[in-house]
Amino acid sequence: MSTTPTTARPRRAHLAAAATAGVLALSLVAACGSGSSGDTGASSGPVTITFWGWAKGTQDVVNAFNASHQDVHVDFQQIPSGVAGGYAKISDAAKAHNAPDLFNVEYAALPDFVSQGAVQDITKLVPASLKDKYLPQAVELTTLAKKSWGLPLDAAPQALFYRKDLFAQAGITTPPKTWDEYRADAQKLKQAVPNTRIGTFLPDDPSTLEALAWQNDAHWFTGIGDTWSVDINSPETKRVTDYWQQLIADDLVRVQPSFSQQWTASLQKGETAGYVGAAWGGGVLKSTLASSPDAAGKWAVAPIPTWDGKPASGMLGGTTFAVSKDSKKAQAAVEFATWATTTPEGIQARIASGTSSLFPADPDLVPTAKAAFKTDFYGGQDIYSVFVDAAKAIRPDWQWGPAMSVTNNAMKDAFSKLTSGGTVGAAVDASQQATLAELRNRGLKVSR
Amino acid sequence: MTSRAPGSSPKHSPRAATVRRRGGGAPALFLAPFLLLFAAVMLVPIGYAVYLSLFTEHSSGLGFGGTETVFTGFGNYARALGDAAYRAGFLTIIQYCLLYLPVMLGLSLLVALLLDSALARAKRFFQLALFLPHAVPGIIAALIWTYLYTPGISPVVEALNSAGAHLDLLGHPVPAVVNMAVWEWTGYNMVIFYAALQAIPREVLEAALMDGAGPLRTALSVKVPLIRASVTMVAMFTVIGSLQLFTEPMVLYRNAPAVVSSWTPNMYAYTAAFDHNDYGLAAASSVLLALAAAALSFVVTRATRGRSERRAEATA
Repeated sequence: MSTTPTTARPRRAHLAAAATAGVLALSLVAACGSGSSGDTGASSGPVTITFWGWAKGTQDVVNAFNASHQDVHVDFQQIPSGVAGGYAKISDAAKAHNAPDLFNVEYAALPDFVSQGAVQDITKLVPASLKDKYLPQAVELTTLAKKSWGLPLDAAPQALFYRKDLFAQAGITTPPKTWDEYRADAQKLKQAVPNTRIGTFLPDDPSTLEALAWQNDAHWFTGIGDTWSVDINSPETKRVTDYWQQLIADDLVRVQPSFSQQWTASLQKGETAGYVGAAWGGGVLKSTLASSPDAAGKWAVAPIPTWDGKPASGMLGGTTFAVSKDSKKAQAAVEFATWATTTPEGIQARIASGTSSLFPADPDLVPTAKAAFKTDFYGGQDIYSVFVDAAKAIRPDWQWGPAMSVTNNAMKDAFSKLTSGGTVGAAVDASQQATLAELRNRGLKVSR
Repeated sequence: MTSRAPGSSPKHSPRAATVRRRGGGAPALFLAPFLLLFAAVMLVPIGYAVYLSLFTEHSSGLGFGGTETVFTGFGNYARALGDAAYRAGFLTIIQYCLLYLPVMLGLSLLVALLLDSALARAKRFFQLALFLPHAVPGIIAALIWTYLYTPGISPVVEALNSAGAHLDLLGHPVPAVVNMAVWEWTGYNMVIFYAALQAIPREVLEAALMDGAGPLRTALSVKVPLIRASVTMVAMFTVIGSLQLFTEPMVLYRNAPAVVSSWTPNMYAYTAAFDHNDYGLAAASSVLLALAAAALSFVVTRATRGRSERRAEATA
């Protein structure tokens, strides 16, 4: 090596530099090239539409639809969940003009996709009779600038999941009705079972905090005329952040990423005795804990605690069907989406898959969902009746912003400082600033 | 890496001259596949990235009327440089290098010297065993290490806890990522150092022995100075590679809240492109990163060439 000629080295260094740049650029371009066109629609025979989604039980729904329909055939592709890369896939495909005809997108991300120009306006395909079937709060979230952009699949009323046996061990006989009681129960539980906490603050997932702020009547985004009013760090939100900050500071809740190995292990071992979630969490919790059989039958569902004891709920997650901008088969896509969201067959197929406990956005289908969901994991409890009451209590007039990925990432990044002096309150302040900067950069009008 | 012997070019030059005389057809034919691929996977993407970096998307009103692409000149570059999160990414890289370089270089040099010493037994076995981690794809290694770091499921953390020591690597991502990188790269660089050590003329070592230098003295005063060029080269490649840090922190990102979405410059670009759909910003931050890497390699090459030229003159 010491005999290497001096001239060879600089050349290699340039190569390395060039390779550096090349790899960077490549990684961008390669990721843009993914996706498939799937324009197989023929003029005769059934119309084939392509559909991307990840919600539990979707394959079963598509199978049931294809088996019972001659005019439309759905070609379903399972993609990673939105935040795990699914959204990137959809927006890249939309940019490359090879997006599927139909895709799933959560309420919170829908405005983002609409403002990117990835979603088709389906107002003309959604008659009032169809709109009337859905919960008004869900319709509200799919209506932007007075136009319809999607069909709601589920409403996601909040709920409290908890371990009956661990609560009983701490002398807690009824689940907490108010947030004050929740805190008191957290203390009781920690005292009785020192290794166990009542719940988790999820530093990777702002949506739980958002639902809690929503529950407390915060309004983060309001479109007034053509101007956005952004009010993320409002007093209503601050009440929620201060409350959780205190729980974290007093070591009454764990701080663990959602659905991480860490969180799952903690639930399996009974070191975490509760989960502030939403209706769909019933199926997810059940399948997450499927490998620990002794958990079965010990979990129960209670209404989400509220500030004043009167029922109130935000919406935590929830999915819609959106038609992509370039699709020429919007009618067929809406036909399938209508079937999947408003017919007993569509809902029955999804819930019967065993992994979904979603709360249909069409309330008439709740009995179907209830009948299809096996509740042995919850000791036979009628969990849907809890969800029904919560759905009625979902506060109206919430609006998601047009850049939720920026809003959420800023908050997540600030949550990372929770273990080193940061606070939950500071995170919503950071999110407010980042969101304002992003909206201004996009050329949108904002007022604070 | 060391196989391209420079002394061989003069020997071949007569034949090269013949080819040149016979016309440009054959060389062009042989070069075409390379140039084609080089253009397709390097030049075109770089050009496209530079092009993208000059544009941004604009909407009006509430933003639900779609977007239009507008030229912003160096606006995206200004945004990237003005963003504290982007600058913090470079700070992360500096912290990472400060810890990683000495540990990894020290370890691989130590192991190479041990293997090169007369005392070493089972050299082939240890060489292979030490190199083996490098054969594991980085993403797999990152997943396994993340598992080992995670309290509640990691046997290592549990064992340490029961011994009274509390290790929170998920809360301290720099050492966590350095550990993964050391595990992966020590063996690889050890091979480079070992090869360089083997190339040291034996008479030099004999002379050292004759002068009464023990094994330790020989290693520190004779062997290490003689392979300084390889050490510098490895250090340079390591620093340039560190600028690209992505896989390991990206895997940690989902499990360790302490890793933020813009933890390294590469993650910043990734988040801008695939979370925020801000391709202009992503391209601009990538181009800036590439420029930083190019500048760094230029400076390091200049500095090391100057030194080895001086040395060559001294020994001549």
